[in-house]
Amino acid sequence: MNIILLLIPLSLALLALAVWAFFWAVNHAQFDDLDTPALSPLSDDEIAPTAASKDAE
Amino acid sequence: MTACFHCGEPVPNGVELRARVGGIDHAVCCRGCEAAMLWIDGLGLADYYRLRTEPAARADSTVDYSAWDRPQLARMHVRVDAPDRAAVVLLIDGLRCTACAWLIEHAIGTLPGVHDVGVNAAARRVHLGFDPSRASLSTLLAALAKLGFVPHPLTADAIDSLREQESRAAIKRLAVAGLGAMQAMMYAVALYAGVFDGIDPAVRDFFRWLGFLVATPVVLYSARPFFAGAQRELRARRVSMDTPVAFAIALIYLASLIETLRGGLDIYFDSVSMFVFFLLVGRTLEMRARHRAGDIVDALARLQPTLAERRTANGYETVGVHELQAGDIVRIAAGASIPADGSLHDRQCAIDESLLSGESAARRCQPGDAVIAGSMVLEGPVEITVKRVGADTVLAGIVRMVTRAASEKPTLARLADARASRFVVRVFLLTVLTAAAWLVFDPSRAFAAALAVLVVSCPCAFALAVPAALTRAVSVLAQRGVLVVDGNALEALAKADHVVFDKTGTLTEPSIDLAHSEVGRGTLDQALAIAAALEQGNTHPLAAALRGSAATLTLSNAHALHNHAGAGVSGVIDGVRYRIGTRAFADCAGPADSTADDALVLADDQGVIARFRVEEQPRAGVTELLAALHEAGIGTEILSGDSPARVEAMAQGLGIRQWRAAMQPADKLERLRELRGQGHVIAMIGDGVNDAPVLAAADVGIAIGSGAALAHAASGILLSSQRLDAIIEARVVARRTLVTLRQNLNWALGYNLAAVPLAAFGFVPPWLAALGMSASSIVVILNSLRIGPVRRATRASAVVDAGIVQARYA
Repeated sequence: MNIILLLIPLSLALLALAVWAFFWAVNHAQFDDLDTPALSPLSDDEIAPTAASKDAE
Repeated sequence: MTACFHCGEPVPNGVELRARVGGIDHAVCCRGCEAAMLWIDGLGLADYYRLRTEPAARADSTVDYSAWDRPQLARMHVRVDAPDRAAVVLLIDGLRCTACAWLIEHAIGTLPGVHDVGVNAAARRVHLGFDPSRASLSTLLAALAKLGFVPHPLTADAIDSLREQESRAAIKRLAVAGLGAMQAMMYAVALYAGVFDGIDPAVRDFFRWLGFLVATPVVLYSARPFFAGAQRELRARRVSMDTPVAFAIALIYLASLIETLRGGLDIYFDSVSMFVFFLLVGRTLEMRARHRAGDIVDALARLQPTLAERRTANGYETVGVHELQAGDIVRIAAGASIPADGSLHDRQCAIDESLLSGESAARRCQPGDAVIAGSMVLEGPVEITVKRVGADTVLAGIVRMVTRAASEKPTLARLADARASRFVVRVFLLTVLTAAAWLVFDPSRAFAAALAVLVVSCPCAFALAVPAALTRAVSVLAQRGVLVVDGNALEALAKADHVVFDKTGTLTEPSIDLAHSEVGRGTLDQALAIAAALEQGNTHPLAAALRGSAATLTLSNAHALHNHAGAGVSGVIDGVRYRIGTRAFADCAGPADSTADDALVLADDQGVIARFRVEEQPRAGVTELLAALHEAGIGTEILSGDSPARVEAMAQGLGIRQWRAAMQPADKLERLRELRGQGHVIAMIGDGVNDAPVLAAADVGIAIGSGAALAHAASGILLSSQRLDAIIEARVVARRTLVTLRQNLNWALGYNLAAVPLAAFGFVPPWLAALGMSASSIVVILNSLRIGPVRRATRASAVVDAGIVQARYA
């Protein structure tokens, strides 16, 4: 049974990590717009950034 | 004739412009489009042309945005955080597809001095962060205009969008509650297993403290809105749904903590976390519906222009509207909105006042006539003398009236709130009684028994009874094109016994009178087919009417379609450029003919092809709705701003006995008060800005989806499908929701009546108490799920969700 003394704190640490990661994502506008980004991979499909747009970044 | 590669409009004869994109020469229609293409290609963003699903808007680089650099104007719209950091939010017209979002992000991001660009295509917003010393607002706006987008800067408070903060906070709370509930349940399973198989007290206490650890953030962070709400209501000496919820959460949590400390019988950290999670899911769904409606209301930002052209001693200067003063003379171009109330100065013109009057026909104004801010000039340019500005305008007055009417609205005594709060008080009394009784007989058992009463009687089922039923009803109705913005609206709709209609735009919609339409060239069917092809995808009522008339015809493919606000649509079919819309727009060269002003004119470059006469006819589903209402014994009435003769004709045709004509918003409000004085519960159905105060004041306001933004803001229910008979279904669902609500409450009461006495006498073992508590909540949720879609009796076709797109012309 002693193993739970290791596993449970481990699970709590993972829980804290999950909450932190989620908060980070929310604060960085990942959940503000759930419609537009869903479509962007479709259009990014064949875009190879050209030299000019690389320069822009 | 070729189409412009950038905007899709036909290239006029004699224009020989070419622009090179991706190594290939393309024809363009004007210098603006040429510049846009060359710029896009120069940035290496030519992929835009391959990815876009809609042609761009015609790039107009002639608009002068330099007025936006005036400090008086910039102060209202730009927030300066640091000397080198400023932020602004723009509402973008012409943001049509994700390729546009991509283009804006990349093209604007390359400008010097721009830190970051965020595009939200759903809300049609662009957030810009820039360095004011290196880039000015006017250059950024001009750059967007160069790409073919029309930017409208929003006021600076839009930067810290309350809505965005609210939705972020809600989603965080939901995540904490969900994750916390999952963990708490895992530890609870171990504890339940321990009850049956035996568990070492040390291990048991360890798991209890773990439960406490994960439940604490759920209660203290996720459940905070419930505590805040209960506190607010208590301070106002009222009880709402938040009161029993907050009490339940606090009691279960504190009781479990005390039991953990004294090593008592049972704890309920898992239940309280689940409870918070379920409630938050309901809250979040409700909030999203509210926000979706709010995005529409933001269109208000564009009702009144922010800039005006003021006449000075030597020409015109562009100033912010808030700088205007009474007595100024301003010039307004055709298709633009009037910035302030005033009187027409120089010449007669047609003005579209549909925003305020709800009447679709344009009004012909003579010099000296009063004009109202927010209405649209159809022929221009004209000059007006400013009389009233800002808060004194008629539009601002109506907005104020809406706010006041909404705050004075008497709320129906809410069934659930009243019963739940009575229940909470009784449980408290019972707990105290139990504790007192046990103190007399056996003090050592007093705390355990009192706690058992509290936990077993947990008002969970009570607290869930209302949100579960409402959430289900809202989602069922949303699939049917009925958006419920305000939960109270459903209860009011179920109880309404008098329905008040606006006439124009609500009961009626325009239709094409084929018998009286004139055809200049070709046959009527040919003209209709062209017109309907041009109006494909347009949500304006007249466009829908044209499509309806041409339903049996085969339509050709139109491309390069452009919607000109306040005027009409242009497009290309088989190489010929057509225009349809107001006479002034479609047939620029034709003679002025005041009798045909409200006709729709179809023309090509050689002149008029056909004039379609427009008449009013009842909106789809009106007769079904009225029949259903009359059958249910509900009173109906028309309150209209239109002339008595037309209102009477419509009322008689539809079988509505009560009607009043020529009513101003204030008259309508007065009539509403009178009806309420007779004890009626009133539902108001309308679409115009002039209906907004009444929509806000009625027990339930229902706005037509294509109506004015202010009407939406004032209503509890929006019909995104344009059919009125959706209200029949909404009413059936609302009534069923009320029944389900009562069942839920009765069930919760019955369960408690059975369980509490047993608990008070100490007969309920802890595992049974937990089981009963969960089971009673699950029964409530399952019962709420029975609110299903209503079977359609009258009509088989699916509701077409036309969306709530604002498109106005003529």
